Amino acid sequence: MNWTWFHRLASPPYVYGLAARLTPWFAWPAALCIIAGLWGGLVLAPPDYQQGDGFRILYVHAPSAWMSLMVYMSMATAAAVGLIWRIKVAHAVAASCAPIGASFTFAALVTGALWGEPMWGTYWEWDPRLTSELVLLFLYLGYMGLRAGIEDTQRADRASAVLAIVGVVNVPIIHYSVTWWNSLHQAPSVMRLAKPAMPLAMLLPLLLMLLGFTLFFVALLLVRLRGEVLARERAASWIREVVSA
Amino acid sequence: MRAFFDMGGYAAFVWPAYAVTLTVIVLNIVWARRSLARSRAEARRRLQTQGQRP
Repeated sequence: MNWTWFHRLASPPYVYGLAARLTPWFAWPAALCIIAGLWGGLVLAPPDYQQGDGFRILYVHAPSAWMSLMVYMSMATAAAVGLIWRIKVAHAVAASCAPIGASFTFAALVTGALWGEPMWGTYWEWDPRLTSELVLLFLYLGYMGLRAGIEDTQRADRASAVLAIVGVVNVPIIHYSVTWWNSLHQAPSVMRLAKPAMPLAMLLPLLLMLLGFTLFFVALLLVRLRGEVLARERAASWIREVVSA
Repeated sequence: MRAFFDMGGYAAFVWPAYAVTLTVIVLNIVWARRSLARSRAEARRRLQTQGQRP
């Protein structure tokens, strides 16, 4: 097998160009999926038999919560690759993930609170699922604070990578919190081994939103990655070409 | 149409949830573009100071 494509992914000028070319291929499909998902979720999906139209918060809450975990796993994986193989581009990927993940964790918490009040009678409860998701927000903020506090990029990369990797223990806790403990939060109804527990007209908009958010994450990551790659390169001749254009 | 905006009585919860999420989406686009522009400006400045050196 030919591994040159893999080695090229560690080359900053190659990654910078590739990221710029790939961005629209993720951004536009993301926009289409999210618009179609919004239409499906707000207009086409039937009201829930128990929660009426209140359940429509699902279409923004579940994708935000999915982002909070998926972006964290991407960040920690990239940080581990950067730490083990000393690949600068991998650290740049990890650093790009953090603000995206933090913002969607915030969205998941706020939309969850807005769903909790009418259905459970409270915006917030120190419940295992809610608390572990809040810890995730603090992990993201701690990661960003740590990076901002260290002047030298290489040292910031290494120190923040350790924090990101240690924080991975929180991810299964969030995911399984609703099965391990008594939680106000409902059990998974889509991401489970059995068949999803909702009709297709409800499920399809949700899948579109999940796909759209994921594509949106990749597009954002590609834009941020270019900035992070530039910040890590000193006096390389390729930079002159890309910034003068 | 009014029924749509009323969201079966849940309007006060459904619409703020959508508003917060869409705001996060838009802010992410603005922040990502701004972060790239800042890095490019920074790199350009570095190249200029290097060019001035003998």
